[in-house]
Amino acid sequence: MNNKNVNINENENKNKKTPLYDKHLALGAKIVSFAGFSMPLYYKSIIDEHLNVRNHSGLFDISHMGEIIVKGKDAGLFLDFVLTADVSSIFPNTIAYSLILNENGGVIDDLTVYKFSNESYMIVANAANTKKDFAWIHTQMINLQKSKLQDQSKFQDLTVENYSDKIGLLSVQGPKSRNIIYPLAEDISDNYDKSKNNFCNIFNFQYNIKPFKELSHFEFSCIKFKEINIEAVISRSGYTGEFGFEIFVSADDINKLWDYILDNKELSNLTPIGLGARDTLRFEAALPLYGHELDETINPYDAGLEKYLSKNKDFIGKEALEKIKNKEKKLIFFKLAGKQIPRHMQKILDENLKPIGCVASGTYSPLNKMPIGSAYISDSNVIPSSLKNFYIDIRGNFEKAEVVNPPFHKMKK
Amino acid sequence: MMDKKNFYFAKSHEWLSNYSNNDYRLGISDFAQSELGDIVYIQLPQAGKQYKKDEKIGEIESVKSVSEIYAPVDLTIKNINSNLNETPELINNDPYGEGFIAKVELHNPTDLSLLMDNNSYESFVKSNHE
Repeated sequence: MNNKNVNINENENKNKKTPLYDKHLALGAKIVSFAGFSMPLYYKSIIDEHLNVRNHSGLFDISHMGEIIVKGKDAGLFLDFVLTADVSSIFPNTIAYSLILNENGGVIDDLTVYKFSNESYMIVANAANTKKDFAWIHTQMINLQKSKLQDQSKFQDLTVENYSDKIGLLSVQGPKSRNIIYPLAEDISDNYDKSKNNFCNIFNFQYNIKPFKELSHFEFSCIKFKEINIEAVISRSGYTGEFGFEIFVSADDINKLWDYILDNKELSNLTPIGLGARDTLRFEAALPLYGHELDETINPYDAGLEKYLSKNKDFIGKEALEKIKNKEKKLIFFKLAGKQIPRHMQKILDENLKPIGCVASGTYSPLNKMPIGSAYISDSNVIPSSLKNFYIDIRGNFEKAEVVNPPFHKMKK
Repeated sequence: MMDKKNFYFAKSHEWLSNYSNNDYRLGISDFAQSELGDIVYIQLPQAGKQYKKDEKIGEIESVKSVSEIYAPVDLTIKNINSNLNETPELINNDPYGEGFIAKVELHNPTDLSLLMDNNSYESFVKSNHE
């Protein structure tokens, strides 16, 4: 037997580890290299972990993700220029999904932005892109500050800092997530001394507290975990297509919090979940993954993400996008009748076996028990909306695929 | 744990085990299935076909990876385990039993001496993968 995948262990020594690495080993995780980190791919089974999140709940270590803190009176104005979404105008304690584009309109990264106040924001970036994003954002800041064309007073009250190594990030996802988080967490009271050296204060932010049980999707607040007395930022968000929370804590506290949640796992039938199921879960929900559905050669129209481009402001990449008349490629989703799994970059062929595109993501759907995928159709002679069936060249086998409307899974209300 | 006294292993993680006369079963090891993770598809070899040692006889696909299966010695496929078409996860659940891949006939039973016994295989896995 010969595993044809890239040798996932080759860079393991050079890899970074999250603060929870030893916990993953102790749980018997299969460790792989992902975005420069040694991460758990699965603990026992990708399929079992996936279904546990769909039916109950799961705990993910996603501390590899990056946090970039942007502060100052000009932070909102600056982010509005660097990001595609309206950030300065959203309410405090809410999150915006946004793209960050280069001058050609290509996607540098997709990310979420947490607005603490008009003067303080946290960007949560893909692990593989954190360094690149930080360098890009920092360069834009310097350029704007130096620019003679700009009003000299603009962009002076502004700092950009990479907090990724100081912050640990857990995600609790699944329909039963409330059952475990509600009893373990409590609101920070109104008369709480915000000047104390506590976690929500590590960014040196002004912040507001909202009762965490009242948070809607894409809202966040600061909370405290009972018994272990650990503070956290908690958001109603995730990457699974399920109800869930993402929890930011100090990297020094994350081991304690991981244990506290796992010690109470019976409350929601919670199990630890690896990156394998994180990928199958996000894909069933048709959420994009950078490096697959997105990269710097893909623009937001190609990816069907034009709704995240603000019409109310100027931003980097906007001018280039306005010149793009014809879509160069189009993202479609498909399912297969056969059992072989399509993989990234395999060729899409029309009924005459002529290449018309490439697979973006391909995986197995544990929920539907079949291979599913996404692809970019790049042949300008093909009208994507009229495409019904095609073939995928899976290692020389031409497997028939059928175009479907995403997502493959919708959350139960 | 199943007694694997009569099992012979290849470095590429396939096993052969005698069940009568010159008739053997072929499968992949417990280590191999655990490395693959959840198996969702197997391309089985063709019954009646002859394969040379180290020739590809099929493919195994898990959610995250694809592996080729090789003939550990020169052999002929007598029957395939067609249960694996519908339930490939048998390989995960019972790699040395219900999850066998095919029944085979060896061209030269003395070729087994080229393979490892269970103890040697276990040390091989330990020294190469830990």
